[in-house]
Amino acid sequence: MKSLSLYVERDSFIHRVDPITKLFYIFAAIIVPFVMKDLTVSIVCAAVSLILLAVGKVLRNAITVFACLFLIMITIFLIQALANINNATVVFSISGIHFYAEGMINGVKIIMRMTDMVAAFLILILTTKPSDLVEDLIRAGFSPRIGYVIMSIFQIVPHMAGAIDVITDAQRARGVETKGSLPVRIKAFLPLLGPVVLNSFMNTKERAMALEVRAFDAKNKKSFLNEAVNFRHAMAYRVLFVLLAVSAVAWRAGGVLL
Amino acid sequence: MKKVIVENLKYRYPAMKQLALDEISFEVEEGEKIGVIGRNSSGKSTLCQALVGLTPHFYKGTYGGRVIVDGLEIKHATVSEAALKVGIVFQNPFTQVTGAKLTVYEEVAFGLENMGLSRAEMIEKVDRALHLLNIYPFRNQNPFSLSGGQMQRMAIAGIIAMRPSIIVLDEPTSQLDPQGTEEVFSAMDELSAEGMTVVIVEHKMEKVAQYCDKILVMKDGKRAAFDTPAKVFSRDDLSELGVCAPVYTNICKALGKKEGAYYPVTLAGAARVLGARR
Ligand SMILES: Nc1ncnc2c1ncn2[C@@H]1O[C@H](COP(=O)(O)OP(=O)(O)OP(=O)(O)O)[C@@H](O)[C@H]1O
Ligand SMILES: [Mg+2]
Repeated sequence: MKSLSLYVERDSFIHRVDPITKLFYIFAAIIVPFVMKDLTVSIVCAAVSLILLAVGKVLRNAITVFACLFLIMITIFLIQALANINNATVVFSISGIHFYAEGMINGVKIIMRMTDMVAAFLILILTTKPSDLVEDLIRAGFSPRIGYVIMSIFQIVPHMAGAIDVITDAQRARGVETKGSLPVRIKAFLPLLGPVVLNSFMNTKERAMALEVRAFDAKNKKSFLNEAVNFRHAMAYRVLFVLLAVSAVAWRAGGVLL
Repeated sequence: MKKVIVENLKYRYPAMKQLALDEISFEVEEGEKIGVIGRNSSGKSTLCQALVGLTPHFYKGTYGGRVIVDGLEIKHATVSEAALKVGIVFQNPFTQVTGAKLTVYEEVAFGLENMGLSRAEMIEKVDRALHLLNIYPFRNQNPFSLSGGQMQRMAIAGIIAMRPSIIVLDEPTSQLDPQGTEEVFSAMDELSAEGMTVVIVEHKMEKVAQYCDKILVMKDGKRAAFDTPAKVFSRDDLSELGVCAPVYTNICKALGKKEGAYYPVTLAGAARVLGARR
């Protein structure tokens, strides 16, 4: 069965870090470059995130994601290079189109921040099982109901996709055109929504009952079959990430005040 | 000790005119196995839901009488409280998959996590349930990848693992082959020998006759009979009740062969009566 999860099973240091500490990293990786607005900082942050991906042995999986973003990044760079409001210094021209230094620097900055942010999220997504993340969040006091919803999305969406395949096949068997131009496909797809959506609605009540009789609403504290990822220096790393973010903000605030 | 006490239970679904359950009363002793039979729409599933409190807590509507399960009056307890004493397996196995767990093993442990059991306890109980229902080999598969019959066994395992003192099963073998059906019934037999009380809705009369201590026959929401299999299946008005006796009983009826006052209801019983002639 297809899975929505992008988790890649590897044996690495990053895989052994607990999910919440990874969330702290994402927090710092976003705050620091955005607050400090400095090109070098942006480049360093992006590099650190990419290196962590490599340490997690998932750089190759991440590259597929970056390949998808490549076009967007190029577009951003071009728009900045050609049309940033602060553009003043022409660096070079190609057949009358001027490329400006200010815009190009800003473009690189934006691309680096994007790279950093995406890479930071990928560290979490590629090296953490969704269930580990959700269970850790519930342990930390997050609502089990919301946790359930998140986990069920990972399971039920692929299942619905499967149901759509089955119904499409059935329609094709009855001679309904399901391939070809977009309008043809949409025409074939719309009648599917009925059974698929209706089916899942009818199931909702029964499933809610099934959860209830398995004590989902019980008042006592839940326990977990899977042990929490036990990362020894979690606290130290979390404090470090918070400190980094806070000092970036402090540095910025100081700079503004001066 | 009485594990289930049902007194003048009445229930009507919100939009319905007639009663789905009409003045039902019966009592079940600890460790007894009760078969519930009757036509479609006779109220079997509704009764099951009333035993665990889904009626009236989940389905509103008009409710009267009392259901007391293991000393707990269902009307005054929440479903999650009742769930610790009485487990229920529904007709449709698909909607009983929580959808939040990636393996059969985790799926079966779901109820135990909610109960807050320790890891060691969970592992012991889940292993036992998986072995009992013969799905241990599938423990690492995705729950949605199972066949209907395997899913049905997983649903039963998920409830059994919680070790309720009473288990209610609503047509738990509808998607199982004969061997699977036999396995489910013998698992129930094993559990009832350990003191679990079993209430099972089932259309396969041979199995009901073989395994159940008593049979509750439902008709139009009313209790039409509550007696031992031999007494129930020996009645003359079975077709009025919408019940078809086991083949063994029908053969003996056709041949006029009784064992004592009643017709035999099992293969062994029929063999005794018919073999005695030779
Ligand atoms: N959710 C509901 N809302 C309204 N009426 C219902 C509901 N569920 C069942 N009923 C009605 O209650 C009566 C008893 O239904 P129930 O499902 O208990 O029968 P059953 O004996 O389990 O039938 P089957 O053998 O088909 O499973 C039927 O007349 C049915 O139409
Ligand atoms: Mg039913």
